[in-house]
Amino acid sequence: MARRYDSSTTTFSPDGRLHQVEYAIEAINNAGTAVGILAKDGIVLAGEKNKPSNLLAPSKGPEKMYKIDDHLTTVVAGLTADANILINNARINAQRYIYTYQEPMPVEQLVEKVCNYKQAYTQYGGLRPFGVSFLFAGWDEYHGYQLYMSDPSGNYSGWKATCIGQNNQAGKNLLKNDYEENLTIDAAMKLAVKVLVKSMDATTASADKLEFCIMTTDGDKVIQRIVPEADVTKILEEVALETASEGDM
Amino acid sequence: MSILQYNGGAIIAMTGKDCVAIASDTRLGLQQQTVACDFQKGFKMNDKLYMGVTGLATDVMTLSQLLKFRMNLYKLREDREMKPAVFSALLTSILYEKRFGPYFTEPVVAGLDENNQPFLSAMDLIGAPVSTSDFVVAGTCTPNLYGMCETMYRPDMSPDELFETISQCLLASCDRDALSGWGAVVTVITPEGVTTRKLKGRMD
Repeated sequence: MARRYDSSTTTFSPDGRLHQVEYAIEAINNAGTAVGILAKDGIVLAGEKNKPSNLLAPSKGPEKMYKIDDHLTTVVAGLTADANILINNARINAQRYIYTYQEPMPVEQLVEKVCNYKQAYTQYGGLRPFGVSFLFAGWDEYHGYQLYMSDPSGNYSGWKATCIGQNNQAGKNLLKNDYEENLTIDAAMKLAVKVLVKSMDATTASADKLEFCIMTTDGDKVIQRIVPEADVTKILEEVALETASEGDM
Repeated sequence: MSILQYNGGAIIAMTGKDCVAIASDTRLGLQQQTVACDFQKGFKMNDKLYMGVTGLATDVMTLSQLLKFRMNLYKLREDREMKPAVFSALLTSILYEKRFGPYFTEPVVAGLDENNQPFLSAMDLIGAPVSTSDFVVAGTCTPNLYGMCETMYRPDMSPDELFETISQCLLASCDRDALSGWGAVVTVITPEGVTTRKLKGRMD
């Protein structure tokens, strides 16, 4: 029944669904997991790198994290090619805002701009939607630290903690149980590691497969720090120790 | 009355031994009436690159904001800082884009390249660049500026000597120009860091 209504993005199915959008979301569920957690004084973003072959040249920078502006960054899950278009678009929008208003773009406004761009591909043009979901993390002086999730439909929502990509349901369940308000950055990092370890399942988590970005402020200035591999290994070890003793009476 | 002389201004950029300095006056006028004495004409583009812009004040502001826009995007996409020569090339390109409706500005670029070698360039309002190894000048009193710099410049000055020389050149030149002066700012860029000083000159 869905067959007749699923090949065009611009047509609703009789049961009120946009199948192309749903299929796009399915595509993302095969991509590397990404998780974002709001801490008391910062945001932790983490992603699992997909390494399909050892012959791949090592990347010179982060693979899943992309800086949009000094106060805004994002983790991607889905088709990288699609993501590149949207990230470029986001960067230009952020700069345009500064050019016009001489102050940084508020986080939600940027997210909405990107989402409105995505929405157009679900309503007109006959082009397929973007197969990407984002976790946007940012700080502005009006609303402080914010974490937003946006998907191919152009919908977005603010979260305290969430994850996207492979096994995101398992990750979300873990977050539901273990997330507390006002976590410290370190606690949030450990929680992010736990989520990724859980979603990576059969494969063993190692520092070279994970990427972390911590966002904090120093007065008015926002600092984004990609965590070096050595520190990631340390945290992985700490988490392994903690979870190992969790089952003990 | 030329549009490039409506607001007034003067800028010098000079090289020293492993350093560059850029000096600008801070007058903003509406022809003969002085309106502000703290108008910024020198803009920091990054830790080792400064741009000075003279000419019509609105275009001075717009051009500096535009360049900031382009530099930020470059930094995000290429994950590195823009070299002074590249910045200069970008600036000429932006100016020529408006060949038949130009920005009424005459910018000056001063910086240290990736090997901390001094770089200077200046261009006209439609982006014709000139890159020299000693000094570049721009503004409403360029004959004065050229004369002063040609007389007082010597190669391989230390940062302190450079500061003295560029300051005296600017102050003396502006004193003979009704449209420039009313305060000055001098920035010296070295591999170790940047020092910015305000000069006390004639406020007339």
